Amino acid sequence: MKSIYLKHLFTAMVLVLGLGMPTLLRAQEERTLGPVSGTYAITNVTVIQAPGRKLDMGTVVIKNGIITAVGKGIAVPPEAIVIKGDSLFVYAGFIDGLSRTGVIKPKEETKEKVKDPGNPPPDRAGITPQNDVRNFLSPTDKTVEDLRALGFTTAQVVPYGGMLPGNAAVVSLGGKSADEMVLASKTALYSEFTTAERIYPATVLGVMAKYRELYRQAAQAKSYESLYASNRTGLERPSPDRILEAFYPVIDKREPVLFKTEKILDVQRAITLQTDLGFSLIAANVKEGWDVLPKIKSGNVKVFLSLDLPEEKKEEKKDDKKDVKKEEKAKPDPEKEKLEKRKAEFVTLYAAQPTAFQKAGVPFGFSTLTAKTKDIPANLRRMIKEGLTEDQALAALTTNAAQILGMSDRLGSIDNGKIANLVITRKSYFNEKAQVRYVFVDGVVYKYDAKEEKKADGKKVDVSGTWSYSTETPQGANTGKLKLKKQGDTYSGTITSQYAEKEVDLKTVSLDNNQLTFSYSLQVEGNTINVDAAVTVDADTFEGSVTAGQYGSFPTKGTKDPNR
Amino acid sequence: MKKIFYSFALLAFATFAHAQVERGNLLIKNGTVLTVTKGTFENTDVLVKDGKISQIGKNIAAPAGVKVIDATGQFVMPGIIDAHSHAGLDAINEATSPVTAEVFTGDVLNPFQVALYRALGGGVTTIHAMHGSANAIGGQCETIKLRYGVKDGDGLRMEGAPRTIKFALGENPTRVHGGGSSIVPRTRMGVEFVIRESFSKAKEYMEAWDKYNKAKTQKGFRGTPPAYNLRLETLAEILKGNIIIHCHSYRADEINMLLNVCKDYGVKRLVFQHVNEGFKVAPELAKYGAMASVFADWWAYKFEVYYSTAYNAAILTRNGVVTSINSDDAELMRHLYHEAAKTQKYGNLSDDEALALITLNPAKQLGIDARVGSLEVGKEADIAIFNAHPLSSYTIPMITVVDGMVRFDREKDADDVRLYVDPTQAVDIATIQGGEQEDHCMEGAEDAFGKLFGLN
Repeated sequence: MKSIYLKHLFTAMVLVLGLGMPTLLRAQEERTLGPVSGTYAITNVTVIQAPGRKLDMGTVVIKNGIITAVGKGIAVPPEAIVIKGDSLFVYAGFIDGLSRTGVIKPKEETKEKVKDPGNPPPDRAGITPQNDVRNFLSPTDKTVEDLRALGFTTAQVVPYGGMLPGNAAVVSLGGKSADEMVLASKTALYSEFTTAERIYPATVLGVMAKYRELYRQAAQAKSYESLYASNRTGLERPSPDRILEAFYPVIDKREPVLFKTEKILDVQRAITLQTDLGFSLIAANVKEGWDVLPKIKSGNVKVFLSLDLPEEKKEEKKDDKKDVKKEEKAKPDPEKEKLEKRKAEFVTLYAAQPTAFQKAGVPFGFSTLTAKTKDIPANLRRMIKEGLTEDQALAALTTNAAQILGMSDRLGSIDNGKIANLVITRKSYFNEKAQVRYVFVDGVVYKYDAKEEKKADGKKVDVSGTWSYSTETPQGANTGKLKLKKQGDTYSGTITSQYAEKEVDLKTVSLDNNQLTFSYSLQVEGNTINVDAAVTVDADTFEGSVTAGQYGSFPTKGTKDPNR
Repeated sequence: MKKIFYSFALLAFATFAHAQVERGNLLIKNGTVLTVTKGTFENTDVLVKDGKISQIGKNIAAPAGVKVIDATGQFVMPGIIDAHSHAGLDAINEATSPVTAEVFTGDVLNPFQVALYRALGGGVTTIHAMHGSANAIGGQCETIKLRYGVKDGDGLRMEGAPRTIKFALGENPTRVHGGGSSIVPRTRMGVEFVIRESFSKAKEYMEAWDKYNKAKTQKGFRGTPPAYNLRLETLAEILKGNIIIHCHSYRADEINMLLNVCKDYGVKRLVFQHVNEGFKVAPELAKYGAMASVFADWWAYKFEVYYSTAYNAAILTRNGVVTSINSDDAELMRHLYHEAAKTQKYGNLSDDEALALITLNPAKQLGIDARVGSLEVGKEADIAIFNAHPLSSYTIPMITVVDGMVRFDREKDADDVRLYVDPTQAVDIATIQGGEQEDHCMEGAEDAFGKLFGLN
């Protein structure tokens, strides 16, 4: 299969290029070769093979999706497309331990009211462990492109759902079809402490109890099935149950439970279930794990720490001229100051979490589930600032993650025989000014243009006016009007949406050169959804993405309505 | 199968093995010691060793390195026990089904709630963290010690305390399920039916397992085990006498009803909560051995609590019912000593009787009276120190000790005692009555069903 696929690679690349994908390598510009092959050589590059294994002026050769040679003075195969790596760094592709990158959220149908809220159908209760994320994958989803652009090549992804959404898979952030993305399926049974709305389990009380009951029922059913299989005569036929069967590999410890446990109490509750039921546990997207370290250690819990960090308090800009009432304003409220100080201490604790795990000797990977993609590099730098070394950060992104997923034979380092997942950067990845230039996923290369240092050119973009936008969501296109007003140097505005009855005021609007960001909140079925948009303005059009809380990130486009 | 079945039971207890309880050493010097059970002693010392009371007497020499608290002019009493609270919990009502015996508040403990510290500030050391009253048979409850400062829910559990479960009669379950979802129970008759049906199913379940387990011991047995069911599993434990029922109730008729139901099923361990009309059925309660946990003077917040009296606790006590006074509320919990004192105005209870309402008696109701509830050698060192007699209107709690550890000291009461701070929440200076957390029997059920009245 693989070789057939690779034969068609060139055709595919041309096709994709023709469709306007901006990221594929125009190899001919680098060096004129005959027909494009599946062989690449990155020459004269600083190779970070794995944390602590650095090779200056090395060469990496990859062939048909596999790393075939790493070292100094390696002969470049004649058919290779050469990437001159002078002044570049190459790392193994990064691995995301838990996300919904490339996972499509099923359309929400209006469902009829459950008559007996104590006995809802399992799917309404969020109990769908038989689901497989492979049925919801889309390689063309914008989230795949966004995460890949940061150097992530692999992710453990999970379906949407309630307390038991289904089976996870480890996927490549590339490929042309769902199946082509999949490196390993059924890698974990994904679980959350998510409650059902107004039906059982409506609280975490119910989730805990239901989890125990399902697990024990599964253990019972499994044991009875094997009894039946050993001698069927005279025994009642076991009744098949896909929900319970989903637990069988977990009971056998062939599949771990991947639990989303962001808060400290979530981690403790997941460990309570682990202790009661005896499964292998991966605590994922952990945000507050430092006080549970002894339990994590003694329970042999594997961990993916969240790359999502709480915002730091921005330094207030000092503006002497404007502050006439400076004296009055400057009068600090000692109570408020103390509270702010404690809050800041906690913000720091979050950023210092990886260091705490490192010190405790608990290996960890990272997960991006709730992180804003654009914040990830800065968050990594904040973690490093709090004591994590670059090598430790890299280990979490590569070798440790591969180890936790049980895929160290294929992923995590630049070594012969491993999958050709690479990220090539200008400057070290953890440098503030680092730029990702190439990402290889399964031997397919994605190129990113060098970003020019921003220069303030005298002519500033003016975005005021009315814009028509359209956002592609799984529910179809959401269209509306964005009205922006300029007052002095600042903007304000309103937006209409199919999800809001009335115009909504924008909470924030800011324009940095041609980068426009704005945010607002929507009220949908009683829930507040915070929407953040980041778009690039080009004269009378813009393009970018909007992130709607936990619902994911969607591409958006806009055009300016002509002035009347 | 049997093996699996038993391993479940074993594993259920494994969780508690994690908890490491901090225990302290202390000498409390020269206070007026209110033992509740053995009288009151002036100018007396209490020595605590490794979390337990090791000596009560005069002029005890302080062992080397032991912290000494000078209680001269102060009053030393057993830590207050609240038999009805919803503090320290992340969820209170799984209000989606009339029977949710399988859920357990011990799964949702939240050691970070500042309410726990504030309760310590009122001399409280142990609380019964209960499921709410939305369901006829609600969840199992957890007895916790207020070891504020621990960051793990397991660290709050009073390890080894008997299992308890919440039941509820009357308006709450009928309103939530009958009114809210148009299912049984819509009436008080329906509540009785729900409880009887549950017990009956549990009995069948228990018998089916007994039968299966017995048959399994025979050689060459082949058969199908009964389907595992956590709800029936829990209800069966009630029938076996391993779980104490704590039943939210107000009216005499429904109290009598539950006595009859329990009698029919041989359930003996029964505590009525609120029990506003308990004074009407006090002899019946005493005869059955059922206990009562009441409010001092809280009523008229809904129709079924109009017929009430502040003499309730005294009448129950005089009739030989083991009675306690509870809070059901994070604020009221901080001055349960005032609530107990009201029984001296309304009913002339003695000091020891009044104090027992918030110490020994709730301990009995929770099945922990051999360990806490009075100041006796060998008991756990849960101690509250007041600057005046705790039944005086002017008293102020000064120091609260749990397992020999000082968990509250008025002298060292910090402004900000939060253990965890939400780094995403905007800092806002508190205003008067600004969204304070309110713990109620019906929390959760209120949200889910949009009912605005009748909280207890």
